Amino acid sequence: MSQEKRYWKSEIELKPNNGLDEIRNNEFVDKLPVDENIFSNDSVNNSETNRRDFLKYLGFSTTAAVLASCEGPVNRSVPYVVQPDRIIPGISNYYATTLFDGYDSANVLVKTREGRPIKIDNNKLSSYNGYANARLNASVLSLYDSGRVQGPTINKEDVSWNNFNKNIKAQLNSLKSLNQQVVLLTSTVNSPTSKKIISEFLNKYPNVEHIEYDSISESSVLDAHELMYGTRALPYYDFQNAKCIVSIGADFLGDWQGSNYDHDYVKGRIPNKENGKASMSKHIQVESNLSITGSNADLRIPISVDDQKLFLAYLYQKLSDSSISLKSVPEKLAKKIDYVYDQLLLSPSKSVVLCGLDDLNAHIITNRINDLLKSNVKSTSKVSLVRNGSDSKMNNFLTRINKGEIKGLIMNGVNPCYTLSNSNAFSEALKKLNFSVSFSMKIDETANFCSHLAATPHQLESWGDFEFINGEFSLTQPTIKPLFDTKQLEDCLLNWLDSENSFYDRIKDNWKNNILDSSTYWNSSLHDGVYSSKVKKRLVDKKSNSNLTNLNYSKYASELSSSKSEGYDLILYSKIGMGDGQQANNPWLQEFPDPLTRVSWDNYITVSKFDADEIGLKNYNESNGALNSNFAQINLDNTVIKAPVIIQPGQARGTVGLAFGYGRSDGVKEEMRTGVNAFKIYKGFSKHQKVKISSVYEIHEFACVQLHNTLMGRGDIIKETTLEIFNSKDKEFWNPIPKVSKNHIETAVNSREVDIWNEFDRSIGHHFNLSIDLNACTGCGACVIACHAENNVPVVGKEEVRKSRDMHWLRIDRYYSSESEFSSDIEKKENISGLGESLSVFGEMEEPSENPQVVFQPVMCQHCNHAPCETVCPVAASAHGRQGQNHMTYNRCVGTRYCANNCPYKVRRFNWFLYNNNDEFDFHMNDDLGKMVLNPDVVVRSRGVMEKCSFCIQGTQSVILKAKNEGREANANEFNDVVACSAACSTGALNFGDINNKESEVYKRKQDERVYHLLEYVGTKPNVFYHTKVRNIDKNKSI
Amino acid sequence: MASHYEAPIRKPLITGNKTYHQISVDVARPIEGNANKQWWIVFSIALILFMWGIVCIIYTISTGIGVWGLNKTVGWAWDITNFVWWVGIGHAGTLISAVLLLFRQKWRMGINRSAEAMTIFSVIQAGLFPLIHMGRPWLAYWIVPIPNTFGSLWVNFNSPLLWDVFAISTYLTVSLVFWWTGLLPDFAMIRDRAVKPFQKKIYSLVSFGWSGRAKDWQRFEEVSLVLAGLATPLVLSVHTIVSFDFATSIIPGWHTTIFPPYFVAGAIFSGFAMVNTLLIVMRKVCNLEDYITLQHIELMNIVIMITGSIVGCAYITELFIAWYSGVEYEQYAFLNRATGPYWWAYWAMMTCNVFSPQLMWFKKLRTSIVFSFVISIVVNIGMWFERFVIIVTSLHRDYLPSSWTMFSPSFIDIGIFLGTIGFFFVLFLLYARTFPVIAQAEVKTILKSSGDNYKKIRDKNGK
Repeated sequence: MSQEKRYWKSEIELKPNNGLDEIRNNEFVDKLPVDENIFSNDSVNNSETNRRDFLKYLGFSTTAAVLASCEGPVNRSVPYVVQPDRIIPGISNYYATTLFDGYDSANVLVKTREGRPIKIDNNKLSSYNGYANARLNASVLSLYDSGRVQGPTINKEDVSWNNFNKNIKAQLNSLKSLNQQVVLLTSTVNSPTSKKIISEFLNKYPNVEHIEYDSISESSVLDAHELMYGTRALPYYDFQNAKCIVSIGADFLGDWQGSNYDHDYVKGRIPNKENGKASMSKHIQVESNLSITGSNADLRIPISVDDQKLFLAYLYQKLSDSSISLKSVPEKLAKKIDYVYDQLLLSPSKSVVLCGLDDLNAHIITNRINDLLKSNVKSTSKVSLVRNGSDSKMNNFLTRINKGEIKGLIMNGVNPCYTLSNSNAFSEALKKLNFSVSFSMKIDETANFCSHLAATPHQLESWGDFEFINGEFSLTQPTIKPLFDTKQLEDCLLNWLDSENSFYDRIKDNWKNNILDSSTYWNSSLHDGVYSSKVKKRLVDKKSNSNLTNLNYSKYASELSSSKSEGYDLILYSKIGMGDGQQANNPWLQEFPDPLTRVSWDNYITVSKFDADEIGLKNYNESNGALNSNFAQINLDNTVIKAPVIIQPGQARGTVGLAFGYGRSDGVKEEMRTGVNAFKIYKGFSKHQKVKISSVYEIHEFACVQLHNTLMGRGDIIKETTLEIFNSKDKEFWNPIPKVSKNHIETAVNSREVDIWNEFDRSIGHHFNLSIDLNACTGCGACVIACHAENNVPVVGKEEVRKSRDMHWLRIDRYYSSESEFSSDIEKKENISGLGESLSVFGEMEEPSENPQVVFQPVMCQHCNHAPCETVCPVAASAHGRQGQNHMTYNRCVGTRYCANNCPYKVRRFNWFLYNNNDEFDFHMNDDLGKMVLNPDVVVRSRGVMEKCSFCIQGTQSVILKAKNEGREANANEFNDVVACSAACSTGALNFGDINNKESEVYKRKQDERVYHLLEYVGTKPNVFYHTKVRNIDKNKSI
Repeated sequence: MASHYEAPIRKPLITGNKTYHQISVDVARPIEGNANKQWWIVFSIALILFMWGIVCIIYTISTGIGVWGLNKTVGWAWDITNFVWWVGIGHAGTLISAVLLLFRQKWRMGINRSAEAMTIFSVIQAGLFPLIHMGRPWLAYWIVPIPNTFGSLWVNFNSPLLWDVFAISTYLTVSLVFWWTGLLPDFAMIRDRAVKPFQKKIYSLVSFGWSGRAKDWQRFEEVSLVLAGLATPLVLSVHTIVSFDFATSIIPGWHTTIFPPYFVAGAIFSGFAMVNTLLIVMRKVCNLEDYITLQHIELMNIVIMITGSIVGCAYITELFIAWYSGVEYEQYAFLNRATGPYWWAYWAMMTCNVFSPQLMWFKKLRTSIVFSFVISIVVNIGMWFERFVIIVTSLHRDYLPSSWTMFSPSFIDIGIFLGTIGFFFVLFLLYARTFPVIAQAEVKTILKSSGDNYKKIRDKNGK
């Protein structure tokens, strides 16, 4: 054992009493240079802080510091001081949420970048409502609306929420003490938690009545359902099983009953061959306006509303075998009814009759017919809760408020001064109230007349929960810190109830206690955004079942058939782009061309050619092609509406249509004040009115993106066939590849033999293809808006669209047949003999038929392997990519437009002006708020450059990079979700992927025998391919 | 080169008993004299049009191509129509000076100077359009293969637009050199006559020190011949390449192999018409009737008639091939051309280009000055419509009917076109006052063979 060594540092240490210890122990050798006075008794005694106080401060501040450093629940999102690991600049984050604005509903994923929501995607976890339509896709732009209200106001003066709430509470209490009526007027409430809060509120204030009001009412459906089944709900239909769908005026691919049925509907519409035979559902549409549903139907019967009612009554009579005294029908119609009846009975349990008529009798009879058919399509366990308004309650309320019986009004999510037909009376009544509160994002028509304006957050800044379909719950969570000083109705109600909870607390409590089962966590359901209740109880009260048998259906049927009056049938409908008009200030939606008329920035009266000639209405084109019309005047009692006219092929004679959602006057920018307000004529909440029409000699200028309506018999643009031929004949018969002659031998154009170009080597890496199934595309246009959002496509405004300068990268072409069917068009063209005949026949073919077949064809850059645009660009700005894309290098483009001229698909779009930061284009790219929606992954193009679809290369590259980072290959179908159009497609009509991956869906689709390429004979070899449309029509049966 | 003998049946090319001195005086007169009132009026109008064109161009460049009437379907209209039209007009000069030189056509000597001037001025107008029709004209130099530091950026040699760049710039250069070479002895003549020192200085500068020695003349003749040899292929190549802009594309109505000869014929056709337009006026105003005689005009009318017939043949061939091809898009494109919404443009073209030159079969008409002038204007209107028809009616209804639309020019479109006409006339009027408008040195070489006085002497002497 060695002794521990001690080292001495200097020799002084060796001497005893060397004084070193003293130095070591005394840190400050010299006396501290402190002012003596500090410690003098005087100063200590005179100080207000004594020792005990000091210790108190110390204690409190330590505790405070400790508490502050603990993480508490963050209920308000705050900007990051320290960046969390999950938020990486340049990487998108997705949040599951639910959108419901009283009209549209969907479970969605919100794509956020650096904290900003920039796009709406579909939530695949949702089994019922997971697809956002065009309007919901566009709603992300409404979040960044520069015209939003930024805080609460009382009598148009800014106040704090504290004062606002105090003021309301005082008003409520005073009215309560006087026992005077207050009404809480909201759009449909299907939120379990909101319902609870509202009922608490009603308990505390018994003088308050809650009325739900749908701007476009479905009351007759709800009434019928309530009468028959005891539940006030909308029937839910399961189209997946449907073999025969007969729709009488029901635009179920559009906005019928707030539905999202297109996904299920299309499942039955794709003819996949099994054992050489394919089957698909049969869809018969009986309607007056041409709807997108009617456009997709196999057989479309355009008749007036009265005839539709008669149709329904006869159908019931035949099915029920009862003898009801019905008015006689013309023989032609009777034949059609017989045909439809036969079709229904082919497989009754898989058939369904749907009804879009605004008539209680009609819905009772429809429900009865479905019950008689024992239809499995009409769900027995599910009902839809997206509408709950009641016309009778609303009428009652309007009478009372006009009489002055109501003293206070709180409104949320409604805009009655715009949506009521007698809105003037209502706004007068509003002025007389003690107080009126509007919860609104804008100073809209109603908020203008209200004493109190409560600024509400956008849905993307809100909390919420919903039950759209019984037992199917969904959650809304904020995806951004509220941009402005806003509060939701529920938070205010809780404040007025003196509750200390926030809406968020209540949702969480309610879900934990009442909705979620024990095995599901709140966080996971918030992550998913949806929760399907395992308890299959109906949360809707069910009264009794006995009604079903007691009802006198014959009476309803004969009532249904008896209505007949003079005049034109006006059918009010909502457009895919604008819905009920809530988002009128959304430039994406204004510029969105209607799927059928392809007119943007307007609504109009649709009228048949026959009636137009009769009344003296006309459409014509100006020298630059732009569409003009004269005006028609609709008279109903004392209401007069003057609107421009579109001559609509397929419109039933004697009927006209007019869309809701336009003619907004307040809370929207000057540019968006387009069209006329159809709600003015929405009398008695009925979508069908009998009106008189006359022509007015004034010219209206339309902004229509498609000026030619027919296909001119060009069969290689849209290939189609019938189910019968599809099942019985070879591909060569119904989908031949065009041939050219090489050395007098017919050779297929896609053969290498006739190709003078060198093939790209596609064996390595990805080779992207986009598949478009014309059977699945309903024309809904969600992809158009999704593309708009993803790719920062500029909005150019009405004047520019009118000049055919729309910028949409993806458009959905719509063609009408000129004969009754497209096949007859082709036949007619092919039978032309001689020059003289060709002149007259081509002239005739420019005119659509009175009841045409309709086809939708999404067209975007076809990414040709032999791209005509690439060879002609002098600066090589258009170049070919390794992965099959045709690239467009904006920075290199000098703007000769040669590429656009040489594109046979005309998909290239030129920046005629500077569309961003330019007040001439006052839409959203000229203000800081509106610019927040821009996708940072996609460059905003400058003026003078060409642009076009890029196959969302920013998305495909991100997937490739992600896979690379994770050290794996990209998954087979991963690419589909990053390409805006295919990700947005609810029906799967668009599918994107890598055909070098044999597992991918797109590869499988490419092997299908329905595949063809657009204008194949030109030899461009596109990377986009289409699937031949198969129609389920019986050629031989004349009906 | 010039022999003093010419067959007696040939009509005199110089009338009015000219001597060499008189020729010098006649040619120098517009330069040495003062401009008259008419010149000032026409010049002012042209200058105003030119200025208006500049305003329109500045507005376009500062605001965007959107101020024109173009749209997503019709990406070219008046811009490229005007471009091709001006290039076509520019064709006659080279043809007259080079091809006719090689073919020893002496009647070219009275008109070649002005024809070449017209060529250069119209190619300048033509060159303007490819520049300003670009979305970002400030980057126009990107279409030239300049070694650069932008990375590996290079032009696309597949693109006919790039070929255009080379074709037009080569043509302009060769024409300019050829023109100037011919001008040297004439400038020297003016220099020698000039009395004002400033004028003398300028003309001695531009005459490159021409001394009039025999060596000068020998070199002059050689260079002329070599340049004529170089320029002759250009007559064919320029418009061939311009036609490739269309012929190599895949748009029905553009995609035609007949385009190169068809365009060249059309170009000569319109070029001669423009020469006629200009010279009929100029011979009157500058008192040059003795040098640009009816014989000249008649010969040009014959060229117009022949090229007009070739063009007419091409139109009909196109229609036939469209029908014969059996391609429905091709067939429809031509049916639409003739009977669609732009039928009036097609028939304007047919009337002006095919029917009107046929009247030249009548000797009475083709020797009528007024008639020739009218037809020359009509032909140029027709040729403008030809380009408009090819460009716009092919584009406005191509493959997918969903994209079909129409084109209507904006006032900017019209303004720029008028501006180039103004610019052209500004240049031409300035030229007429400062340049020897007749190649007097060359004309003098044929005075003894083709002058009417010498011809008469020969007739009298029976030689």
